[in-house]
Amino acid sequence: MTAPIPARPPATNSGQLWWWLPRVSILLFVAGIFALFWYLERSDREEKRTALISDMLWLEQNLRFVLHHNEDLLGRFDPQRIGQRETFQAHAAPVIASNSGVIQVRWLAPSGEQLDAYPPVSDDPLASSSAADMAAQRLAVSVAHAVYGPPYPVGNDWQFEVYVPIFHAGELAGIVVGVYSIRRLLADGVPWWIAERYQIAIADPSGQSLGQRSNITEIETDNAYQMPFDPPGHGLILHATSYRSATPMTGRVIMAGLAFLAALVLFSLWTLRRHVQGRLAAESALQNEVAFRKAMEDSVQTGLRARNLDGMITYVNPAFCRMVGWSPEELIGRLPPMPYWAEEYLDETRAMHAKVLAGQAPSNGFEIKLKRRNGEIFDALIIEAPLIDSQGRHTGWMGSVVDITERKRIAELARQQEERLQASARLITMGEMASSLAHELNQPLAAISSYATGCRNLIAAGAPQSEIDAAIAKCQEQAQRAGRIIRRIYEFVRRQEPKSEPCDIGLLLADLITLLDSDARRQRVRIQRDIAPNLPLLQADRILLGQALLNLMKNGIEAMGQTDEAARVLTVRAAQLADQVLISVIDRGCGIGPDTVSQLFEPFYTTKQEGLGVGLKICRSVVEAHHGRLWFEANPEGGTIFHIALPCNSQ
Amino acid sequence: MQLAMTTGMAYIVDDDAALRDAIPWLLRSRGIPCRAWESAEAFLADYSDEMSGCLILDLRMGGMTGSELHERLIERGCAMPVIFLTGHGDVPLAVKALKRGAFDFIEKPFNDNELADRVHEALQHEQNRRWQDGMKAAVLERLATLTEREREVMERILAGKLNKVIADELSIAMRTVEVHRAHIFEKMGVRSAVELAQRLSLLGPPGSR
Repeated sequence: MTAPIPARPPATNSGQLWWWLPRVSILLFVAGIFALFWYLERSDREEKRTALISDMLWLEQNLRFVLHHNEDLLGRFDPQRIGQRETFQAHAAPVIASNSGVIQVRWLAPSGEQLDAYPPVSDDPLASSSAADMAAQRLAVSVAHAVYGPPYPVGNDWQFEVYVPIFHAGELAGIVVGVYSIRRLLADGVPWWIAERYQIAIADPSGQSLGQRSNITEIETDNAYQMPFDPPGHGLILHATSYRSATPMTGRVIMAGLAFLAALVLFSLWTLRRHVQGRLAAESALQNEVAFRKAMEDSVQTGLRARNLDGMITYVNPAFCRMVGWSPEELIGRLPPMPYWAEEYLDETRAMHAKVLAGQAPSNGFEIKLKRRNGEIFDALIIEAPLIDSQGRHTGWMGSVVDITERKRIAELARQQEERLQASARLITMGEMASSLAHELNQPLAAISSYATGCRNLIAAGAPQSEIDAAIAKCQEQAQRAGRIIRRIYEFVRRQEPKSEPCDIGLLLADLITLLDSDARRQRVRIQRDIAPNLPLLQADRILLGQALLNLMKNGIEAMGQTDEAARVLTVRAAQLADQVLISVIDRGCGIGPDTVSQLFEPFYTTKQEGLGVGLKICRSVVEAHHGRLWFEANPEGGTIFHIALPCNSQ
Repeated sequence: MQLAMTTGMAYIVDDDAALRDAIPWLLRSRGIPCRAWESAEAFLADYSDEMSGCLILDLRMGGMTGSELHERLIERGCAMPVIFLTGHGDVPLAVKALKRGAFDFIEKPFNDNELADRVHEALQHEQNRRWQDGMKAAVLERLATLTEREREVMERILAGKLNKVIADELSIAMRTVEVHRAHIFEKMGVRSAVELAQRLSLLGPPGSR
């Protein structure tokens, strides 16, 4: 409880880092995953491309092989024998049948004239060869090697021809022409496993497709490859475009899963952050609150001390330490009796402590004497409240302790001041009354004096008696007026006279002693009662008589200011003596010196520094108004005894 | 004990009915005429400049006090002597009143003829003052009838200069001076230079004229 609360750490980068690190690492992780995927994808694509290229190379090689093979086949035609129609067909048919793209084989004479064709041509669109064909023919003859002609469209297909010169005994015997249909060549020359993967097309230099082999599926335009198709050349291009391969489902699922998980992680991180921020805010609010409360506890003037259920001190605030003078270290962990308990009042303190622990402490607080480290006794007002922890368990008691010494002293001073003021106010009233009475009496007296003087003047002048008589009558009138004023004074005084009612003197004395208790304690005086039971009722003015008795007791207490503390005893005795009650107030004080004895009851005589000197005089007047007697004698044990004898109605 | 008659009246202000009866009774036994009012306010209402005599004011009255009334009267230019009646303990007030120009104060109850004697003195004093005031006024009136030349001549006469010297100083004939002198004495109602000086001394020191 007293552990110092650490100050709130300054908001440094550590807090930021704490938040940034996971965020960045998560992002990096997700980025890494995606990078991995991208890399895999790319390598996959590379691989595909490599495969495409190698497939294309293979395909091109294959096609070339097919073409070469056909060139071979066509070159092996025996010119001797193919003159006959049947033999040409026998030669040509296998070439056609070998599914190598050749759809027609023609046999040309060296002059270029067509001699035969298989399959035979129904009409002859090709009879007139184009100039390009002618050039190719001539080239083939001149180089003595197969030469390919340029492609030409036939319907919706394109065709090209290969011219293979046949020599016999060094002489050009003729030219075998293989007519290739590009579509057919593709159909025959592209194997199924390539056709399945790629769209294979042959295009002319301008990019126009001359024929293609394709399954109608979506194609990936970004993965394509082209290479010159040579032979037959003429700028033909072999073009392959891979089909969009269905990405494997597992990959997609894993990707989606990963993306989902990353999103989930980010989301959970975000919620965690919100949660943490909430906690941080709560924590800082709590820290502020704690610091604020701590500051408050440390700055209040009220002492605070907490005790657990065993009465052990668990917490004290600085104000309490200042009040008693012990440090927190010396106090915390202490069990009763506490160092600040006053030995003189140990029993009361112990009883109160037990009461508090039993939960019976008065809720509006109780006053108690405590001791400072320097031995000074002070008055404290303690208010105890149960300590309840956050689980609602009762763990001890929190007491707020207020030093009320000063307050009590001030109250006492105020009371004394008030008393003195009242006394002087009474005197002032008396003075005022006397003055106004004097003024009032002056009027009739002045009138009487004037009349009397006037009369004498008239007598001296020998005036008639009747005139004088009237004045003397007026004199009498004024004398009566003065008499009436005097009577008013008596009435005023009589109004102040005591009321008379039955009064239990034992009870009155008990009340007065209670009233004086704090005074006596302050002066370290013990009040001893010696009051006989069943005293008869007196006819008295309770308030006046009480004032007189209180005055005597206070005088007794004050008289013992210089006495040894052990002997500071004020005895209040009351007993019945025949038809009187005798009350004695016995002190062990300094006594009354012989020189003051005679003056003691004189008004305005006082032996006290702050006295007004009306106390004893008033006491005596009060007692005498009750038809009693007040006197005093020396106490044989030292000090003074004041006696009051009051008549009691024994009826 | 004399019953000297004096002119002037005693004006009494006292809120006590018995005293309003008794004091006039006493003063009349000494031949002093009286009028009495029951309050300062009532007296102020009746006050006029014609009044002449002496004021007897009670210091302590309900409503306006005697000293307040005195102040008002001074404001209104009343110069009559004032005697205050005081009770026990009013001495400081009475002293204040004296400083303000009261004639005297007398403590109640009065001794014998003390009050009447003081009133008598006050009336005498007032009479003298009034006579002097009257004389002063008469002298001033006569002075006003002098011509400028006569005034010049009179100043020199008062300075004790001889006719001849006066004639030289004013560059006039001796005879003329004598004529002026006769006129001055006639106008001022005196028979000699000494008498003239006495008359003029009533007006106070020469500088104040």
